[in-house]
Amino acid sequence: MSAALSYSAVSAGYHGTPVLTHVDLTLAGGQRLALVGPNGAGKSTLIKSILGLIPVLGGAATVLGRPPAQARPLIGYVPQTDSLDADFPVTAAQVVMMGRYRRIGWWRPTRAADRRAVRAALEQVGLADRAGKHFGTLSGGQRQRVLLARALAAEPRLLLLDEPFNGVDAVSQEAILGVLRTLSADGTAVVLSTHDLAVAAELADIVCLLNGRQWAAGSPEAVLTAENLRAAYGGHAIEVGHDRTVLVEP
Amino acid sequence: MNWWDDALHRATVEVLLAGALAGLVGVQVVLRRLSFFTMALTHATFPGVVAASIIGVNIMIGGIAAGGIIALGVAALSRRRGQNAAAATGVLLSAGFALGTGLVATQSGFSRDLSSFLVGSILTVGPADLVGTLAVLIVVATVLLVCRRPLTFTGFDRTGARSAGFATGVWDVVLLLTIEIVVVTIVPAVGTILALALIVAPAAAARAWSTRLGVLTALAVVFGAASGLGGLYLSLRWNIAAGASITLTATALLAASLILSRLIGGIRRPPAFYALTGEATKDLGPEVLRYTRSG
Repeated sequence: MSAALSYSAVSAGYHGTPVLTHVDLTLAGGQRLALVGPNGAGKSTLIKSILGLIPVLGGAATVLGRPPAQARPLIGYVPQTDSLDADFPVTAAQVVMMGRYRRIGWWRPTRAADRRAVRAALEQVGLADRAGKHFGTLSGGQRQRVLLARALAAEPRLLLLDEPFNGVDAVSQEAILGVLRTLSADGTAVVLSTHDLAVAAELADIVCLLNGRQWAAGSPEAVLTAENLRAAYGGHAIEVGHDRTVLVEP
Repeated sequence: MNWWDDALHRATVEVLLAGALAGLVGVQVVLRRLSFFTMALTHATFPGVVAASIIGVNIMIGGIAAGGIIALGVAALSRRRGQNAAAATGVLLSAGFALGTGLVATQSGFSRDLSSFLVGSILTVGPADLVGTLAVLIVVATVLLVCRRPLTFTGFDRTGARSAGFATGVWDVVLLLTIEIVVVTIVPAVGTILALALIVAPAAAARAWSTRLGVLTALAVVFGAASGLGGLYLSLRWNIAAGASITLTATALLAASLILSRLIGGIRRPPAFYALTGEATKDLGPEVLRYTRSG
């Protein structure tokens, strides 16, 4: 079985100008990868390049054994909640059903299997009782969980999450972390970007430290060192004590 | 005498159809914050219509051609990075209107038709116009129903829709052209300047009452038809231009909805209002079409 993600000396960017360079990553099915780095480091760029929404300008990239854009049907994508129009008149269940559109087609009626998948996905993120609620009336954390449920409903082999813990309450964060662990135990590869180094260290098998280029990638212990963080974050990394605890100002 | 031979009967049917059509597409205009784009369309059809009448072809064809150019132009502009699509739309709006006015000035004896085009001429609609409006209503309702998933997904979450395999640029064009067809259809009845209110106000009013797409679409259709009918009645009662009274009725319905829904504890407060006012100064229509390309 091919790797979920195989990047070799990849650079990616817009209009021929690379935003991110020197990315070397290999992710197997069921592994969890955390992308960390300061704002503008290229975390979202890397995620969009995996989706094939941003062209790979150099190096070799395959996603689930295919060129990125062709792997899209097998990828679940959870965008940042603030990139959506929360005023849009859709319910939580309707948002989750969007995850099934690729299977259903854009005009055919939904089937019982689709509705079951939507219900199961909402149950998995603990929001079955919110199915009929307007998306815009949910809290930030609940919205994020609904978007996660939408990705789950598509039954992906690779799940991408762009800053899933931004503006998310502790309950939702725990719910999301729990789902991600279950998913990877079932063989789904997970890639997420985060500002939260503690979450990255706790959740990820592989941490990738970015700032315009890949500074380090590997196990959390190997990557999240004071030295690496100071290099990637510039002057914003502060070491506290001698137990590897490092705080980073945003 | 045939029932359809009475100009008033024809006008009644036309306002009902045009109002329903405007309300139907207005929901998309309001949800996608395309009011300003729609405004540009209503004005851009003007030179097309004038040019068509000078050349001597059907004025609808002129309107469709001119509106189509604007719709595709805005769709293309919105794909370009760093382009201020709102500013470009604003310039196109004024330039189109100026071109129409200039064309009119080159012709003598044109001013009467001009004013009827600006504020509409509901009492002069013929049976062919009614059939045309009905056909457009059926086509637009079908398009919106069949394409509801891609249109909703693209409007709600553009990047998500792209990652799910939807060609969002194509669906933008589908939506903009649908709006264009509606504009070209209802402008002769209610006028270039006044058409926007009939499109936006019923949908914005409906938003005050529901957050369900199906419900608020149905409400917008009812509000649109009611605005047409009420406006026509007031126009006859007090002898004012029908386009003006229809627009005022639609505006009154919106104001009443915003106030009543707040008093009764309705659902939405600011968005319905922004739909009409906020975006004209703050978040202009074509902004939503721009791809999110943040790093």
